[in-house]
Amino acid sequence: MTEPLDIQLVVNGSTRQAKAEPRRTLADFLREDLGLTGTHLGCEHGVCGACTVLVDGDAVRSCLMLAVQARGATVTTIEGLASDGQLNDLQLAMRDSHSFQCGFCTPGFMMQVTALLVDNPTPSEAEIRETLSGNICRCTGYESILNGVLRAAAAREAAESSH
Amino acid sequence: MADTTTQPIAQRFVGESVKRSEDVRILTGTGSYVDDIQLPGMLHAAFLRSPLAHARILSVDVSAARQLPGVVVAMTGEDVQGLLAPSAPSPGIFGPAPVKFTIVATDKVRLVGDPIAVVVAESRYLAEDALQLVEVEYDELVPVANTDQALDPTSTPIFEDLGSNVISAPTTNTFGDVAAVFAKADRVVRATLRQHRHQNVPMECRGVVADYNPDTKALTVHGSNQGVGIAKMVMSAQLGLPADKVRVLCGDICGSFGLKIGAAREEIAACALSKARGRPVRWIEDRNEHLSSSGHAREETLEAEAAVTDDGDILGLKVRMVVDTGAYPGMGGMIGSIVQGMLPGPYSLGALEFEFAAGVTNKATYVAYRGPWAAETFCRERMVDIIAKELGLDPVEVRRRNIRYQGDNPGTMITGRSLVGATARESVEKMAELVDLAAFRARQAEAREEGRYLGIGMATYIEAAPGPRGGGGMGNETMRMRLEADGTLTVFTAQMPHGQSHETTLAQVAADEFGVPFEKVRVVAGDSDQVPFGFTGGSRAATMAGGASLHTARELRQKVLDISSHLLEASADDLEIVDGRVAVKGVPVTAKPLADIVASASEPGRLPEGLDATFEVARSYDGGEGGWSGGTHCAIVEVDAETGLVAIERYFVVEDCGKMINPAVVEGQVRGGVAQGIGAVLLERSAYDDNAQFLAGTFMDYLLPTMTEVPRIEIHHLETIPLDPDVNFRGVGEGGMIVAPPTICNAIEDALAPFGVEVREQHLPPLRILELIGAID
Repeated sequence: MTEPLDIQLVVNGSTRQAKAEPRRTLADFLREDLGLTGTHLGCEHGVCGACTVLVDGDAVRSCLMLAVQARGATVTTIEGLASDGQLNDLQLAMRDSHSFQCGFCTPGFMMQVTALLVDNPTPSEAEIRETLSGNICRCTGYESILNGVLRAAAAREAAESSH
Repeated sequence: MADTTTQPIAQRFVGESVKRSEDVRILTGTGSYVDDIQLPGMLHAAFLRSPLAHARILSVDVSAARQLPGVVVAMTGEDVQGLLAPSAPSPGIFGPAPVKFTIVATDKVRLVGDPIAVVVAESRYLAEDALQLVEVEYDELVPVANTDQALDPTSTPIFEDLGSNVISAPTTNTFGDVAAVFAKADRVVRATLRQHRHQNVPMECRGVVADYNPDTKALTVHGSNQGVGIAKMVMSAQLGLPADKVRVLCGDICGSFGLKIGAAREEIAACALSKARGRPVRWIEDRNEHLSSSGHAREETLEAEAAVTDDGDILGLKVRMVVDTGAYPGMGGMIGSIVQGMLPGPYSLGALEFEFAAGVTNKATYVAYRGPWAAETFCRERMVDIIAKELGLDPVEVRRRNIRYQGDNPGTMITGRSLVGATARESVEKMAELVDLAAFRARQAEAREEGRYLGIGMATYIEAAPGPRGGGGMGNETMRMRLEADGTLTVFTAQMPHGQSHETTLAQVAADEFGVPFEKVRVVAGDSDQVPFGFTGGSRAATMAGGASLHTARELRQKVLDISSHLLEASADDLEIVDGRVAVKGVPVTAKPLADIVASASEPGRLPEGLDATFEVARSYDGGEGGWSGGTHCAIVEVDAETGLVAIERYFVVEDCGKMINPAVVEGQVRGGVAQGIGAVLLERSAYDDNAQFLAGTFMDYLLPTMTEVPRIEIHHLETIPLDPDVNFRGVGEGGMIVAPPTICNAIEDALAPFGVEVREQHLPPLRILELIGAID
């Protein structure tokens, strides 16, 4: 069966619909059919993590998932992090930490960290390293990313304790 | 001529870790990489690639591929060649190649991954479907799998017009009186050292969107490239298009690290196909193509002999270097002269004999990778430790004996360049302070009692980024700046940033020098119609583009002040630009926004006739007095003798890149380079078998360092005594990758001393460690 299928899902809060062949990956669907090119493809075999998005809250590799498997799902991509033109707290922390250089791996790290901080709002350095060991960055040597995550977690904790 | 040596403006941005201009788009997913470009009517190209290392092509049949619905073009190598200018030379990296070959293979395939046919279809999926329908008949040839075979005159020539596989016949150069120096030596220490084949691996593969407009007969190339001007030049020559009909644009780019220079064969083919069809054609390399055929680096052997005294003086060196250049012409044949020049490093050698040879093999092309000449540092810094071990001396003491302080007579490298301003010795001393060697040795001894193997290793390097004046230097860097009607300063740079943060750092320099807030500077890069000719590479940006930014801003500021003097009826010498306003010095109430100055200048009668009232300046910069980057790294490692795994416990960097424009950017460059060095030693290898079959085509085979392998890097900055009155920023892009491999190898050899292990290669994954300690055969 190669006929295009209707695919409807919620992406970054909006209901989106397009047709796609059953073999089309979620990554290609997001990038090519929905124009959400913030999600990047670094290896297309599930190792580098650049294509990580959230599907129903879980961090998944969109190069290893078919678009049809995401029918009816709620998907968040890097384009969904900022709201009303304002960077969210994680984005600000990463910017303040000079976390990234070329930016190609960035969407994967941002989505993986977004999921991490929901599961574990105050991760230790070792926990961050473990969780992000499936995301490859070739530019930074990782320390700036690590610092960004620690900064984001601290900022979130401070914001919550002040409420 | 106006006096341009006015008081320096108080610097507000240079030296600060200013937040990057690039980050908002990167963090919101709104960057624009080549794969993000979608054009109406765009087609997708895919290449059929050779599964064989070396074979004659008997036939290529694309007829079935052509029939597949959705396929627009299916072409053989001959078909593609017919689309190019008949006069087009075979493309080398920096100009015509020394051997003949076609863009897509026609007569033979020369490596696993060589392109044989191309399909252009309505989608990448369809193009790849069609590739499965292409039929190729081969006559397999004996592969040339290593340089021993390549330098053997009886090996089958990979390029028939070369007549052999020797692309650089062995040549020897000597500096100083080698025989006399070796005669004086108490002993000669010998070792054969090897750097293995590994590669750049930017997270974004190569790619292009070619957009030929049949009406205007103009080609727009959206690329991922370190220099739009070089790509334009190649594309223009290959397609036979006048220069004004080719425009190369680059948006955001990942990595490269030396790989994406010029125009790749696949990119040329995509442009030719767009021209042939009058529709945009996109080619985006996948990771398997990238690992097998984008290019590899390093595979080099260095046989070294050091003439030494028993006290640890290194009198001279003899080095014989052989490079495996892979198949197509890249940088392999030209690396020898740079390695030769840099081999002495900061050491006071009395003589050097250097022999260089290079052979063509059926493997991926040798490309530049972050510090392409790093073999010199690996060879020298391993030799220092090998010498120290043989003499029973501490490696730090051997470095102390042979590297001078900056304050001493700086001396000259035996290969010619002055060492003025090099702070290698200072970096060694600083490192000795940071790591308490005596305490470490005590801890190491205790650990050994428990069967734990700790080691410490150090290595020192200098990098000509750009090097002192008068040593060849880096040519010129051209920059253009324009004051816009709204008071914004636009900086047109020849740099093509791909992670180096030039949009931020060049703006910092320009803002300070011109007198506007950082936010009012916009850096334009990556458009061959707008930016000067140039490229990013060789760690040139800090000095060359930073310096060009300073001097161009200074000249434009003077021009604006000269124009303002007529508008404000004051002498230019009495005016200043502060925070985007022109004012009489010390009289803030006179301040006029730059936008008002630009507007007034165009009003009739406001300026004397004949005055140049363009708010624009273009100029080039030669690097000024230049200077050396450099430093010393130190690793403390623990080797697990059961598993062969190496853990890096601490990693220290003492580095000197002169005055830092943006310390966070500098540290990012250092850490990224060190991480690549860690990967090179512990993980990465572009492996081939004995038949030149490629074995590392996925990220499960080619392992990259992750957050679990790279420790925090402890960085200490030294700052060179300024050599230049204005520009003392130095390049820092390559140093980490140049010096980390010998640092880690030295530490591993130290850790394995109880086993009597001699580390002579650079790649030390767990299996190799276990072999070295005799745990496995």
